[in-house]
Amino acid sequence: MKKTVDARGLEPPQPFELVMDALADLPKGESLLLLLDRMPHPLFRILDRDGYKYESRIRDDGVVEIDILNP
Amino acid sequence: MIPDGQTLSYDAAPAFSTPLRFFITAPLFGAAAGAALLAAPELLDSRWTPGALAVTHLVAVGFMLTVMLGALFQILPVVAGAVIPRSGPVATVVHLAMTIGALCLAWGLGSGSHAFLAPATVLLGGGLALFVVAAFLGLRRIPVAQATPRDLRIALLGFAVAVALGITLALALGGRLDLPLLTVLKLHIGWALLGGSGVLLAAASWVVVPMFQITPNYPAALARFWAMGTGAVLLVWSATVYGELGSAEFALSAVLAALCALFAVNTLKLQRQSRRSVPDMTTRAFEIGMGSFIAGLVCVLVAQQSEQQVWPLLAGILILHGGFVSVIVGMLYKIIPFLAWLHLTQDVGKAPNMKKLQPDSPIRRHLALHAAALAALLVAASVGNAWLIRLAGLLVVAEFAFLFANIIKVLGNYRRAHAG
Repeated sequence: MKKTVDARGLEPPQPFELVMDALADLPKGESLLLLLDRMPHPLFRILDRDGYKYESRIRDDGVVEIDILNP
Repeated sequence: MIPDGQTLSYDAAPAFSTPLRFFITAPLFGAAAGAALLAAPELLDSRWTPGALAVTHLVAVGFMLTVMLGALFQILPVVAGAVIPRSGPVATVVHLAMTIGALCLAWGLGSGSHAFLAPATVLLGGGLALFVVAAFLGLRRIPVAQATPRDLRIALLGFAVAVALGITLALALGGRLDLPLLTVLKLHIGWALLGGSGVLLAAASWVVVPMFQITPNYPAALARFWAMGTGAVLLVWSATVYGELGSAEFALSAVLAALCALFAVNTLKLQRQSRRSVPDMTTRAFEIGMGSFIAGLVCVLVAQQSEQQVWPLLAGILILHGGFVSVIVGMLYKIIPFLAWLHLTQDVGKAPNMKKLQPDSPIRRHLALHAAALAALLVAASVGNAWLIRLAGLLVVAEFAFLFANIIKVLGNYRRAHAG
C-alpha cells in the first residue's frame, strides 16, 4: 500500500521537514502520497532538482494531493 | 504514470539576497522617521507641515513599500508560483531606485526643495514601473481563478495608480501643473493605502494567516470578492472625490471603511480559531494591527465631519504605525527566518530549528516597544506636548533599531549554520 504523509494543519517548515524525511526513506521505484493545505511551490523546485517525478491536484474540499515517485 | 516535474526550474527561486536587501534597509527609514520627530516635534502640529509629510513618506515609502516590494519578490514565486524574469538584477535596480527615491522624496517634502522632488518622482516612478512590469510578466501564466495571484495583480495596479497620483502631486507642488491639490492628495492617499497596501495585505493574508497562524481559511466569498469589490468601490469613490460630491463621497468612504473593518474582524475571528494553544508573536502583531485599523477607520470618518486637526493625525498614526507597521513586522518575523531555513536546507541540506534562527523573546521585547511607541504617538498627537512628541520619537527610533538588530541576528545565525 502506498505510504501517505498527511502534513495538513502544520506550521511551515514542518510540512517540508516531514516530506523530506519521508523522501529520504522512499525506496527507488516506489511513490508516496502527500496531503497539504496549499500548493508547495518551493518543494516542487527541490523535487525537480533531485530528480523526483510528481503529480499534483486540488481536491474538491481544497486539499492538495501530490503523488511523488522516486524513479 | 507520474510526469516529470512540471512547474518551475530550481533556478527560478530568488536568491536570499534578493528580498533581504529590502528588509535590511527598510527599518533604517522607520528609525529616520522617529529621529525627525525627536529633532523637530513641531512637525506634528498638523498633517500638512512639511515635516509631517516627510515623516509620513519615510514610513509609507521607505519602510512599508520597501518591505512590501521585497516580500513580493519572494511571495510571487513561493505562494503564487510566478517567476519574475531576471529577479536578481531587477531587485538590485528597484531597491536602489526606491531607496534613493525615498530619501529624495522625504528630503524634498521636508525642506520644500523641488530640486529633490524631481529626482524622487523619476526614481520612485521608474523603480515601481519596472517592478510592476516584471511582476505582470511573472504572473502572465498564472490562472486568475486563485485569490492571491488575482488580488496581487489588483494591488500592483493600485500601487501604479497611487504613484502616478504622487508624481502628479509633486509636479503640481513644483508649479508645473495647475490642479486642485486637495482632490489629488485625497485620491493619492486612498489609492496608496487601500488600492495598493490594503489589497496587498489582504492578498498576502489569504495565504499567510492560515499558513503561519494555523487558522481555518478565510470565508471563500470574502477571499473571492473582497479585493475586487473594494477596488470597484474605490473607483466610484474616486469619481465622487473628483466631482466634489461631498455627501456621496462621505457615504462611499463609510462603505470603504466597512469593507476594511470586515477584513479586520474576519482576521481577528480566524485567529480566535487558531489551533495553537498559545498565540505566537505574529498573532499578537496582527491583533495590534487589526485593532489599530478599526480605530483608525473610525478616526478617518470622524475627521471628515470635524474641523479639529487632531483626527487626521490620529487616523494616520493608527493606520500607518499601528496597522501596517504592526502586520508588516509580524510577517517579517516569519518570512526572514523561514527564508534562512529554506536556503540552508537547499544549500547545505540541513537547517537548525526555526526557533533557533529566530527565538521568540527578542520579538516579544520588540512588540512591547512597538506598542509603547504607538501609545506614546497617540497621546503626544492628542496632547500636542513637545516633550511627549520627543519621547514618542525616541521610542520609534528604538523600535526600528531593535527590528534592524533582530534581522541582523537572524542573518548571523544563518551564516554560522551555513559555515558549519
